[in-house]
Order: sequence, then C-alpha cells, then structure tokens
Amino acid sequence: MNEPAILTENLTRTFGALTAVDGINLSVTAGQFFGFLGPNGAGKSTTIKMLTGLLAPTSGRIRLLGIDFAADPIEVKRQIGVVPEGMGLFERLTGTEYLNFVGRMYGLGRETSKRRSDELLHFMQLDDRPKSVIADYSHGMQKKLALAAAVIHGPRILFLDEPFEGVDALAAGALKALLARMTERGVTIFLTSHVLEIVERLCSHVAIIHKGRLVAQGSLDELRAGVAADDSGPRTLEQIFLSIVGQSGGTRSQLEELSWLT
Amino acid sequence: MADVTSGPGILTQIRLVAELRWRVLRNLIRNRNSRLDILGLVWAALFASAFVIGLCWLFWWGAYFSTSTGHFHWLLLLFWSVCLFWQAFPIFIAGFGAPFEFRTLLRFPLRFSAFYIIGLAYGLADFAAVCGTCWLFSIAVGVGIAKLTLLPAVLLVIVLFVWMNITLERLLSSWLERLLARRRTRELLFGLFILLSVSAQFLRPAIIHYSEGARTSDSVQRLIANVSPLPPSLAGSAVIAAGQGDAEHFFIGVGALLVYIAILSGLLWRRFAAQYRGEELSESSAPMRAATNLPSARSVRKSDPLGFLSPQLAAILTKEFKYLVRNGFVLISLLMPPLLVLLFSSQFAGKHPSVTHTRITSDSFFPGMMGYLILMLMTPAYNCFAYESKGIRNYYTAPIRFRDVLLAKNLMYAAILIFEITLSTMLLSIRIGLPSSPVLAATILALVFAVAGQFAIADWVSLSFPRKLEYGSMRGQRGSGVSIWIAFGVQILLAGICTMILFTGRWTGNPWLPAEAFAVLAAASLGGYFAALNALSIVAEKKKETLIETLSK
Repeated sequence: MNEPAILTENLTRTFGALTAVDGINLSVTAGQFFGFLGPNGAGKSTTIKMLTGLLAPTSGRIRLLGIDFAADPIEVKRQIGVVPEGMGLFERLTGTEYLNFVGRMYGLGRETSKRRSDELLHFMQLDDRPKSVIADYSHGMQKKLALAAAVIHGPRILFLDEPFEGVDALAAGALKALLARMTERGVTIFLTSHVLEIVERLCSHVAIIHKGRLVAQGSLDELRAGVAADDSGPRTLEQIFLSIVGQSGGTRSQLEELSWLT
Repeated sequence: MADVTSGPGILTQIRLVAELRWRVLRNLIRNRNSRLDILGLVWAALFASAFVIGLCWLFWWGAYFSTSTGHFHWLLLLFWSVCLFWQAFPIFIAGFGAPFEFRTLLRFPLRFSAFYIIGLAYGLADFAAVCGTCWLFSIAVGVGIAKLTLLPAVLLVIVLFVWMNITLERLLSSWLERLLARRRTRELLFGLFILLSVSAQFLRPAIIHYSEGARTSDSVQRLIANVSPLPPSLAGSAVIAAGQGDAEHFFIGVGALLVYIAILSGLLWRRFAAQYRGEELSESSAPMRAATNLPSARSVRKSDPLGFLSPQLAAILTKEFKYLVRNGFVLISLLMPPLLVLLFSSQFAGKHPSVTHTRITSDSFFPGMMGYLILMLMTPAYNCFAYESKGIRNYYTAPIRFRDVLLAKNLMYAAILIFEITLSTMLLSIRIGLPSSPVLAATILALVFAVAGQFAIADWVSLSFPRKLEYGSMRGQRGSGVSIWIAFGVQILLAGICTMILFTGRWTGNPWLPAEAFAVLAAASLGGYFAALNALSIVAEKKKETLIETLSK
C-alpha cells in the first residue's frame, strides 16, 4: 500500500482566540506537484510552518513519507526541503558559504556540499558575485538562493512558500523545468502561490484553504467538475478559486465608493 | 486625473514633518513591550534633562562670571565647548543606528527650497542642537544679567552662531550619510568610537606625563588663540569686542560669521541639490562579470580544520566565525580586553601605579583582572541568537538536535575567551609578572567553573528572553531587561563564590586549597553543563515560536 507523502489528520492551530488552521485533512501522493491556495490570512503559511516543523500544531497529526512528525522530527526533516516565508537566510554569509552551511547541516560531506553549492549557484546564475554577502543580494537573488538551499540535500518533499515571487522570467523558467523534473523523479512538491496562472501550469493537484478550513481538494479536473461551467468553455483556476472562496474585494458597490479615483 | 492643484505651503510642510517625527517618537514609546524598557526610557530622559539643565546652569554661570569680572577671554572657551559638542555628538550617534532619513520625503511633491528648509529645520530637532541652543541662550542670559547693554549684541551673535552650527551640522551629517550608507563603514566608525572611549582613559596619564607642570588652563588658552579664524572664536571675539566697546572688531566678527554661514549654506545647497536629484547611496554593487569559479581539485581537497567535529557542529562553527569576522564592531571590540589590561595594570599594578600609591600584587591583580574580563566577555552569551535574524529558522528546519546548535555557539564563545585570556595573560606577564603557581592554577580552574556554569544559564536565557540586534548599530542594541538582570545577578554570585574560595587559601594557610576546590567545582560545572544540554533542547522546542518571531521581526 502506498503511503501518502503528506498526510495531515485534523491539523489545527490556534493563536489565542483565533483558529488559524481548523482541523484540515490533507493527502498528497508521492510525486505530485501540489498547489496550496487561499486568500490572504487563510492559514496557508501557518499550515506550511506546521508541516516543516517551524510551528507546533495545537492538535492533530502530521505524517510525512509515512513517518510521524512528532515521533521522529529529525528523520522527517532529513527528507524535506523548505523555502519558508521570508526565506530565513543568514544574510552575513556569501551565497557559497550559505549553501555549504545548509549542506553540512543536512549531513553532507564537505566536498559533496561544496560541489553541489557550486553547481546550484551556477544553475541559479548566482555565481557572478562570489564575494557579496546575501544582505547585498536583490530580493529575486535571495529567493533563488533560498530555493537552491532547499534542494541541496536532495529532498523527497519540497515545501515552497511563494517561490517565484521576485524571480525574473529567465530564472523562473529554468526553475519550473527543474521542479518538473524533480516531480518526474518522485519528489513531492508542495507549493503556495498567489499567482494562480503558475499554479495552474505547474500543479496537477490543488487544495484551497479559506478561513482556516480546507474547502476544496483534488486534481484540477476534479475541481473544474465540481464548479458549474459557463458558456465560455472550461474554467480557469482563477475562476474556480473565486467561485469557491467568493469575490472578496473589488465588488461593484465598493468600486462605486471610489468614484473619485475612476 | 490628479486632484492636487497646488502643493502645501512651506510652513505646512514643515509642520507635517514635525508631526511625523513626533508620531514616530510617540509610537516608539508606546511599543515598548516591557516595564523595564519603559523604566530605562524614563531613566534616560531624566538623565538627559539633568545633563542639559545642569550644563545650562554652568554656561550661565561661566558667562556671568567672565562678563562681570572682565575675564572675557573665557567666553571663547564656552563657545568652543558648545560648537564641539554640537558637531561631534551627532557624528558619534550616527554610527549607533539607522536614523530617520528625511530624504525619504522626496517621494512627495516638495519644491527644492522647501526640501532645503525642512532639512535645516530637521537639524534643529537633534539632541545636540537642542542642547547647543539651550546652552547658547544660557550664555546670553548670563552676559545679559552681568551687563544688560551687551544683550542685543550677544543675541545677534548667538542667533548667527546657532545658524552657522545648524548649517555645519547638516553639511557634516549629509556627508556622513554618504559614508554610512555602507554598512562596513558604519561598523568601523562604531568600533572606532569604542576604541576612542577607551583611549580617552589614557589621556590623563599622558597629560600628566607631558605637561611638565604647566597649567591645563594655560594650554587650553594657547590652543584657542591658534584657532581664532574659526567660527567659535569669531563669535566669542565679537562678544568680547562688544563688551570692550570695540564696534569695529564686533562688526568684523559678525561679518566673518556671516561669510561662514554663506559658504556653508552654499556647500549644503549643493549637497541637498544632489540628494534632491535622487543621489544613489545603495550599497549593492553592480554585478560583476560572470566568473567561472568552479572549484579546482586542489581547493576541494583542502584539509578541513574542523574535520574532527560532526558536519553540523562544523557548519555552525564556521558560520559563527564568518559572522564574527564580518562584524566590524564586534571584531574591534575584541581589542578591548587587552587594552583594559594595559590600562588597569598601569593604574593599579606595576612598578609605578598612576592611581594607587601602593601597587597591587600580581597574586591579587591577576584573578581580579580575569574576573573582570569574564564579566565583559560573557555578557553577549546571554543573547547568543541576537544576530541570527530570520536565519534562526535554519536551525529548526535542519535535521539536528538543538543541543548541537547551543554546543557550537558555546564552543565559539569558549574559543574567543581562550584567545582573549591567553593574550591578556601574556600582556600581564610582561607588565606585572605572573602570579604564584597556586593562584595561577586556582584562577584558571575558577574560569572553567564560572564559564561552564554560565553557559548553561546563558543558553536558557538566550532561548527564553531573545532580543534581535542589528549589526553595526548601537541605538536600542541591548539584550532584554530580564536577561541583563539575570546575567548581572549570576556574575555577581559567581564572583562572590570565587572570591571567597580564593581567600580561603590565605585564611587556612594552604595555598593550594582554592585550586583543589575549583577543580572539583569545574568538574561539577562541566558535568552539569553537558547534562543540561538535552533539557535545553526541549526548552528550544517549546520556545521556538517566540524565538523565530522575535528574531524575524
């Protein structure tokens, strides 16, 4: 029997009176490119933080690759790579030093870590400023470096929180190709993004979270089937998303209030 | 279509900027998140008020005394004191933090004249400017009370002198801003400030040594006479001329001040014009030509000096070392211990101590000095994640136990301590000689006891009361109030225990007794430290949300 790569059971997280994530049950098969969507403040980042060990759940269970996170967090962390919200880089190191550091933290040998760092920096087109510290990188460069750091140890699950934000089109194309190849080789990718076109193009399966609750989960076709089609043909992910979470802004009456602007 | 038909007037713009500064200050005070912080702020405000008001009284008295007794030349000294403080203080403060950049106001539709005036007005809101203005008007009051007829002349001179000082300070600040836009320069300036502060301690011995009996006041008077063409001397001379009824020299002084104001205003106009045009101060350098820096076989095969450690420990130690050598301020502050050893040994020990009449023996001085160094060097360990920033998440996403992180950080501190103490011991051995063998052995073992014992507590404090610090910045750069108090309490307690044990050697007549006692304590302390690491890992897991949130702000 194939154990899902990511499985959560009644995963809940509260902050005082606020329930940020409310009993969600996720199931992601190994090798899926999985998109996790939701409006601002829906609980996406909180979920991803719990799945990567940055935040303890209030209740519920997380199993990654069949391993209970709470029982063996070290083994789970060995198998996953993360690009967290805000990236979490050591900004006083150079790109090479940071990748070496991360490689070594995952237990790679010194030479392996160095070789992979150089290859990743070259792939990400970050090898032209070997002496610059990360603090001097642009936002897009930092993002690419965070991605490189997330894959240096060859993870079996990759968690990406807004990975393409600020990345130029050239690098984004190369990254998408890399991620697609990783899924072909059985790596599971769990991605959040507000750019629905990217999610639609890359992901085979999608889950939508709204106000802390999972409101939809399945393949894109399953999601399309669940939403009534209109005359203009098959629905886009954006249309599906809006029909599920509701149009949360820019309604006609609100726009009329800003008549001085239009 | 834009609805804005005309911009606000200059006065409105100045008022808006003043309101902005006030709101920034008010929100800063409101956001203080602990009573200790507020207490610290109140204490600082009281201290600053006492400083300003106290010196106002001193300037008033100085001006009154010199005018009423006819010792007008002392007025020069008063003007010079104000000017030096006004110009030097903001320069030192600038290295301590990222000030509010009024250039950010350029996003609004400001005219250049408004930008220039706001820039000047902004200079008047500095602490140094407030102090300087208060002190100058105290001088005016002092002169006015002593000789009422002089008041209009003094007021004219002081208004011009205030104008000159604001313009000069803004000019220096704008040049400094260019300099400080680079983080490295900022850190170096701050380090330089620390070194200057310490070096100031050597001034007195140097003056005593080189003055050869001459009075300090005479030397100062001679110095001031040589700088007579400069604005503070001109301002003072103008007041003196007015006091002596010499209208010609009074107007020469006032005219020269006006010339200075014109030249400085011209230069400032040029600087502000460059800023107004959108001068780029960013420190991101232009991308270099792509380099094919694939590793050579030789570089890959280079032996690993930390090969005996686990990859994770080696990685964290390497990272800590890189952070140390890139933090100009911390690096320069490592010069402090040897400097203090030199200073204190010259003041209290050696053949000719400058403070005490009888020299302190090496057996007493050495343990005391080492205790002081531990007090100074261990303090950062109580906030050991201060510089991690968002990078702290790496420790929680990596497959490691947190005890390894703590162990690596403590190893780094231990390496710094060993280096500093070895260097200081070498200096002391040259300056005053080493203590007797029993005292040397007891001191070294006492250090092991105190350091290992403190590491466990410092790690717990670092996890429980973290505070983010910025590189090369001093404003607000201190640990949380609780961690400072705990560090202080622990160090006082350990110092008390160590002193008592050291004295038992004298009281019992057995010189090796303290060394034996410290050997037992050091072993217990090391055992306790390693035993505590697992418990600290559990604390780290419990505190991770607070730690990540605090350091990622």
